[in-house]
Amino acid sequence: MQTQQDTPILNVENLAISYKIRDGMVPAVRDVSFKIHRGEAHGIVGESGCGKSTVAFGIVNFLGRNGRIVNGQILFQGRDLVGRSQEELRRLRGDRIAMVYQDPMQALNPTMRIGDQMAEVLVIHRGMSKAEADDRCVQMLEQVHMPDPANMMRRFPHQVSGGQQQRVVIGMALLNDPALLIMDEPTTALDVTVEAAVLDLIAELQHTYDTAIMYISHNLGVVARVSDKVGVMYAGALVERARVSDIYLHPAHPYTQGLMRCVPKLGMNKTDSYLYPIRGRVPAPTNLPAGCVYEPRCDYARPECSQKRPELREVLPGRWVRCHFAEEVLEGKWEPPEELVPDLEKLAKPADGDEAILQIEHAKTYYEAPSKKMIGGERQYVKAVDDVSIAAQRGMTLGIVGESGCGKSTLVKTIIGLEKPTGGEMEFMGLDITVPVSKRNLNLIMIRLLNMMRLGENYYDRLPRQLSGGEKQRVGIARAIAGNPEMILCDEPVSALDVSVQAAVLNLLLETQHKLGSTMVFIAHDLSVIRFFCDTIGVMYLGQFAEIGPAEAIYAPPYHPYTEALLSAVPIPNPTAEQKHIRLSGAVPSALNPPSGCRFHTRCPRRTTLPDGGKICEEETPPWREVSAEHRIACHIPLEELRQIDPVITIDQEESHAR
Amino acid sequence: MLVRDYMTRHPFMAEPDMSIIEAQRYMGDNNIRHLPIVGDGKRLEGLVTRSSLLVDPGKLGSLDVWEITRYLSRLTVADIMVKREHVVTAAPDATIEEAARTMVERGIGCLPIVEDNVVVGLITENHLLRQLMEMMSMQMPGTRVTIWMPARKKGELAKLVSAIAAQGWGIAALGGVIAPKDPDKWEAVVKVHNVSIAEVEAALSPIEGQEIVDIREG
Repeated sequence: MQTQQDTPILNVENLAISYKIRDGMVPAVRDVSFKIHRGEAHGIVGESGCGKSTVAFGIVNFLGRNGRIVNGQILFQGRDLVGRSQEELRRLRGDRIAMVYQDPMQALNPTMRIGDQMAEVLVIHRGMSKAEADDRCVQMLEQVHMPDPANMMRRFPHQVSGGQQQRVVIGMALLNDPALLIMDEPTTALDVTVEAAVLDLIAELQHTYDTAIMYISHNLGVVARVSDKVGVMYAGALVERARVSDIYLHPAHPYTQGLMRCVPKLGMNKTDSYLYPIRGRVPAPTNLPAGCVYEPRCDYARPECSQKRPELREVLPGRWVRCHFAEEVLEGKWEPPEELVPDLEKLAKPADGDEAILQIEHAKTYYEAPSKKMIGGERQYVKAVDDVSIAAQRGMTLGIVGESGCGKSTLVKTIIGLEKPTGGEMEFMGLDITVPVSKRNLNLIMIRLLNMMRLGENYYDRLPRQLSGGEKQRVGIARAIAGNPEMILCDEPVSALDVSVQAAVLNLLLETQHKLGSTMVFIAHDLSVIRFFCDTIGVMYLGQFAEIGPAEAIYAPPYHPYTEALLSAVPIPNPTAEQKHIRLSGAVPSALNPPSGCRFHTRCPRRTTLPDGGKICEEETPPWREVSAEHRIACHIPLEELRQIDPVITIDQEESHAR
Repeated sequence: MLVRDYMTRHPFMAEPDMSIIEAQRYMGDNNIRHLPIVGDGKRLEGLVTRSSLLVDPGKLGSLDVWEITRYLSRLTVADIMVKREHVVTAAPDATIEEAARTMVERGIGCLPIVEDNVVVGLITENHLLRQLMEMMSMQMPGTRVTIWMPARKKGELAKLVSAIAAQGWGIAALGGVIAPKDPDKWEAVVKVHNVSIAEVEAALSPIEGQEIVDIREG
């Protein structure tokens, strides 16, 4: 017998949403259908501008004055939400549907204490007394694993860290025990370590509260961690819908396949693999191709693709694909187009020798902090970079990773002279950016640069606002290399870009480096990208390096405990991968007053393996332990023990390669 | 075995101003027999069951089709629901058997589960039957044996359990009641997985003072 257990909490059918503009209607979303059952998490992935958020806004009718649902229905617990009055929707939003967005600060009122704004939800919606509401809020904060909840209630939002703010928002969303929780990129603004903890929390709450979750993200790894089913959106349409593991191992839509090929997987590196960007770009919603929307960029495209728009059809049980030739795509007869086949060997070879082009010894960058006392008082310093030594070889790429607030950017700013170093030595040889370029051949050089960036001459006269995000970044790179620099410093150059664009920009950087023989310092928080791109990697924690070594050595034992924790937090969509579960507690401590001894000791999960519960870590600065000539780890734990640690990530190579 | 673990969370609910025509369709389409009616903040206002939807023809002025339509279109859920003060509810931390007793004594098929007057779930006869099924380990095949033993005599159940333990078997389910037709006997039902009827019979029939009254695959 069918019961209400079988009716999906959310059933979206043939949804189409359009925005009205001066010239007519812009179809932002077309033909989107999916179902979410109780206690189930459904992911929606796609690049920016594909309509993911529009679907989410459409469900709660937050489309703005010019947005309109033009077709389809949205059944929430079996009742259609389309066409309901604002008043009815308002009640639903408060009581049964909750939303969590990317930036927690936008959901929180900066002028109200956390406790007050949480309690408000209960006082207004449920008519609870303030005292009762406060009790419930403390319980809720405990449930979202906030340290010291009673104290947190009295704080203002800016007094807690970003990850904690997001926990408050999630807690607030759950206060009314919603049947449906819509999360739109809830962890995108967070560090990997915090992201991992928040994702754990979401999975846990989903089971406790039996809440249906719609999870929107551009990152397939993140979606894979919380949800079991996923829909892939492209240009406003759902192009594939299946279980996460199926999508990862056997993508059936050419676009999904393309997405998979342009994300570096953890373990890939530039000498043995290549990222294949998807050519072209997402079509504007006002100017969609007549046939399949993906046809202009598709490697499998045939004449009929440009004439007939494919329907979403069930290719295998539970696998819905919008492609005329999904069966063929599934067989995986894809060969990279010729112009894309790279010369891996050529790319891998460093330009010349082992000559260190950049040599930094004991670098320090301190910022003076105002003293808290009115008169006198000791000077205090934020030790953003504290005693850092590192070298970069010519033609090589040095990667720097770490959570936000670890001093990565300050280090780079100090190298290029934007910040005044407080101490230490920095040597940079053969810098030659002062040669003046004569006015006469400026245009020519610019055009050559544009061509090198694959932008074409017609870009010469464009204004920045006429460029897409990826194009802007290319112009940025063109500008950086205009003076033929010996060295390029990149601070998160691809983190704001969509994956397909990211692949193209990374490839471009690689080529540029090869052509110019420049050395690069590359900062990123994405460990897969760093692994792919860099030869040497430094892991930074609170102004100091915790581990420095060749890329492949960093990702295998022996690890510094901090590296180990970072690696275990990377979201991996590969269902055959097994990952250790290590979560760091708390946030990076303040650099104003860093912990004594080893700076990581306050959060180190391995400290207890040392005698006396790791007392030495509190008292003494850890020694550099030499694993090999290039690989060093700063830790009190002896190397022999660090070597015993199992790898964080084990991937079943055979299964993964079978795809 | 508390209500909170077995109830349906996020039950389908409706607002008092929903028209009865819409409510009837909503319940029919989704096969809902009990519809809690809630106000702001999911606070309980009433309950609509299938029988609330039975309109008394006596209230109609005439049986004229237009008259009926007009009458029905004016009715809202608030007019026909069982009002809050008459709705029997339970708390999420009540036990399953307490909920069952309430339902049996009041002769009702459903209890809205309410915390601070806010509806947090719903429990129906169906949940209780499912619970019985699970208690008897219906989802896994095995041998189900019914044994009669003297009631009000200490150590009888221990004898049975230790006979099973002596074989190295695990007990998948165990339940007991006073035997339906003999108040001096206690009836125990035991379920054991991966063991044949013959083996169970051989192990349990020697127990003194106890009698196997039924044994089957189940």
